[in-house]
Amino acid sequence: MPDRDPQLLKGVLPMLVLLLLTEGESYGYELVTRLQAAGLTDIAAGTVYPVLARLEREGQVSSRLVASSSGPARKYYRPTADGAAELTAALRGWDHLSDTVRAVLDRAATPKEQ
Amino acid sequence: MTPTATSPTDRARREWFLIRFSWHMQDFPQKQYRQIKRDLRQELTTAGADVGMRHAVADLGRPRTLADGYIAELGRPVPRWTTGAVAAGLAVLFIVYLGVAYAIGTVDTLEAMGGGTVTTYPFGAETIFTSTTDGISVQTQLSAAGTSFFLGVAAVTFTLGSRLWRAFG
Repeated sequence: MPDRDPQLLKGVLPMLVLLLLTEGESYGYELVTRLQAAGLTDIAAGTVYPVLARLEREGQVSSRLVASSSGPARKYYRPTADGAAELTAALRGWDHLSDTVRAVLDRAATPKEQ
Repeated sequence: MTPTATSPTDRARREWFLIRFSWHMQDFPQKQYRQIKRDLRQELTTAGADVGMRHAVADLGRPRTLADGYIAELGRPVPRWTTGAVAAGLAVLFIVYLGVAYAIGTVDTLEAMGGGTVTTYPFGAETIFTSTTDGISVQTQLSAAGTSFFLGVAAVTFTLGSRLWRAFG
């Protein structure tokens, strides 16, 4: 896998976290494994937990403790209404940025006619 | 099924990581920090049950890097109160050390000259150095200028060391 600039991921990680939590609530470590399974194989818990903490602090995700029969109670996170709105805005922004970047890349890849 | 209890070894591993993490988070807003520590302990316990505590702790990376991650997500620079306090303390101790070294040097000089008394006025404080065959002594008093000097040095080093301006940024 090619090396990825960590800054690129940093910008979109909150959006990915909100998106995955929208698909299904998760506890922290499970969320990390879901991100890894989605292709971010080198992402670590130490990268995801601070983002989760901020999203919770800002009221974009809420949490609840769920008792587990096979281990300690787990803290499950899911997006709030504010988080859902933030996700919608982030996806719109991402689509716009992605389209713009793609257009620039395509233009740069196309040889200029003399 | 009964939930698996965290073993003493795993608890020790988890708590040792949290202690080192705490050191780097000591200037983080305390109320938020307490919540983060609670969550982190919870996540470590959960992840430890899933993949083993050694793996769970390793996955968090270095405590300092993790703390930097939380501070970055805070979205604003955090003053370093502890660093400022240590810097101020060291600066004051250094000046005290210089003063003591100066006093010892002065008394030694008096002794080499056959004894006697000399009076100086550093920062306006009358200071009497005495060296006689009976013994040596240094007498001084607190002065407004001397107190201001110490407080000034402490304030400047605390301000610079703590990046105090971050509290108002």
